[in-house]
Amino acid sequence: MEVDKADSTLKRRTAVASAGQSKGQRVGFWLRRNLIWYAFIAPAVIMLVMFMALPLIQSLELAFYEWNGLRPREYIALENFKDLFDDRFFWGALSHTLTFAVYSMVGTVGIGLLLAMAIARRVRGASIYRFIFYLPVMLPMAVTAALWVRMYEQNFGMLNVMLRSVGLAHLEGTWIASRETALGSVIAVAVWQFSGFPMIILLAAIENIPEDLHEAASLDGISESQRIWHLTLPLIRPVLISISVLQFIFSLKVFDLVWVMTLGGPAESTSVLGTFLYKEAFRKQEYGYASAVAVVMFVVIFTVTYVYQRLMRVEAVEF
Amino acid sequence: MTVLLLAWAVVQVYPIIFMFITSVKTDKQILNAPFALPDPLKFENYEIVWQGDRVAQPFSTFFINSFIITLGSLLILLFVAGLAGYSLARGRFPGNAATQQMFLLTLAVPVHVLIIPMYFFMGDLGLRNDHLGMMLVYATLGLPFTIILMRAYFLSFPHELEEAALLDGCSRFGAFIRVVVPVSRGAIASMAIINISWIWSELFFALVLLDQPQVRTLPLAVAGYRPVSMAAESVVGQQFAIMTLTALPLFVFYFLFQRQIRKGMTAGALR
Repeated sequence: MEVDKADSTLKRRTAVASAGQSKGQRVGFWLRRNLIWYAFIAPAVIMLVMFMALPLIQSLELAFYEWNGLRPREYIALENFKDLFDDRFFWGALSHTLTFAVYSMVGTVGIGLLLAMAIARRVRGASIYRFIFYLPVMLPMAVTAALWVRMYEQNFGMLNVMLRSVGLAHLEGTWIASRETALGSVIAVAVWQFSGFPMIILLAAIENIPEDLHEAASLDGISESQRIWHLTLPLIRPVLISISVLQFIFSLKVFDLVWVMTLGGPAESTSVLGTFLYKEAFRKQEYGYASAVAVVMFVVIFTVTYVYQRLMRVEAVEF
Repeated sequence: MTVLLLAWAVVQVYPIIFMFITSVKTDKQILNAPFALPDPLKFENYEIVWQGDRVAQPFSTFFINSFIITLGSLLILLFVAGLAGYSLARGRFPGNAATQQMFLLTLAVPVHVLIIPMYFFMGDLGLRNDHLGMMLVYATLGLPFTIILMRAYFLSFPHELEEAALLDGCSRFGAFIRVVVPVSRGAIASMAIINISWIWSELFFALVLLDQPQVRTLPLAVAGYRPVSMAAESVVGQQFAIMTLTALPLFVFYFLFQRQIRKGMTAGALR
């Protein structure tokens, strides 16, 4: 930690002043010196305790109770978790969440990498592409979802109308309206919206590669594909891994897209942990059971994020 | 390569243009000629949603709600995070490192797990269906990473300015408000930029904590216009108008601050 000059002068003064003074006075000095810093940080700590730590603890606690929000809650130990273990809709939601997270991670990072490499070759209009590819990321997810509900609509939706008009009527689908295709269709929307995000990060990483490395490579007569494989990819690997994990964690928390597009249906085929939790709590008033779902979500996501933080050493952005 | 870029650009941008175009068409045009350009431009969808119709609250209400909540959350967030970041960067008090660790840990908490207890105690506090309640929740959700970034910024902030102010008899708080904050406008603006779009778009907490129509925000309004089947109703144009109005402020904002937004989003993604 940096040494604070103002503080160290203050400390020196304090030290001089406290020589030969009583212990009480020294505590007074100490307090006066630090109190202001505690006061500065207090609002943040209070808010985080009130709106994050306490709800978190209460969630953990509530998972061991049965409660419908009205009658007094009843302690049932691990019953909720046992039920969860036998609930095929829970396993469905868990597996859909993982499927969603894996495929949207592969999709966004894969497309983002392709786009970044294409743009990095100094194509004309690079800044316009960059602008356009990040545009969907700015859309509120509820808007994206509502928009794509319209696109996927069977009879008048843009997608099917377009397929029909170019003579590909046999590819027409029911998209989010049928169990087989719904999850895939939702994932496609996530990829559509968020591929610009890894693109920007990877592009920055590629542009950070020193120019002379490329020059040296081209002097050595290395082909383009070899250069990408042996130079670009190894150099951006840390960023690539980092952005993939971030994208994965982000996707594990999916709620908006699924909720607005399908409500988890049809027949729970797109139900994810977020929507499952919401429904158990606020549709069925099974608050204890839903809290058990919350605990599972917490354990999974917290672990992944924590490991990521440890490995990556979350670094701050410079201004 | 150029073909690939162009193709993907069309895929990315066409649905958005489609949204804009459809919002200025009549429902008849939408159904009969979905890809045609609007002829003539019809802004009545906007008039209807802005004023509200028989089934829905006026959109203006949602817009104002969203605006107030976003602005209020930002003000609280920036003030609280600024003070905390400053304290962590400057103060060498016992517990400094531990507090930072705590903030890092809270970054890893998936916010969905907080919702059930929050629903009840926000009710007990009278903060459900309440703008202030929503602001406090959003400000809290933004705190951990904003504080971490603020601290990093203040670490590189020169001491001399504050020291001069302190010697002039300013209190720490006075020096912070009168000297540090004005000089840090740029960094504070970046923090605002990082936080605006997620607060404006937030759906989950709004869905649970705002169940009265008159306090709802825009994402709820968008989600609420759920179609039954496209042919069975005649609110398609209005729905697109609502989507457009919800997205438009963020687009304008993106247009103005492209660079800062793209720069700050790595940090935002940590949330």
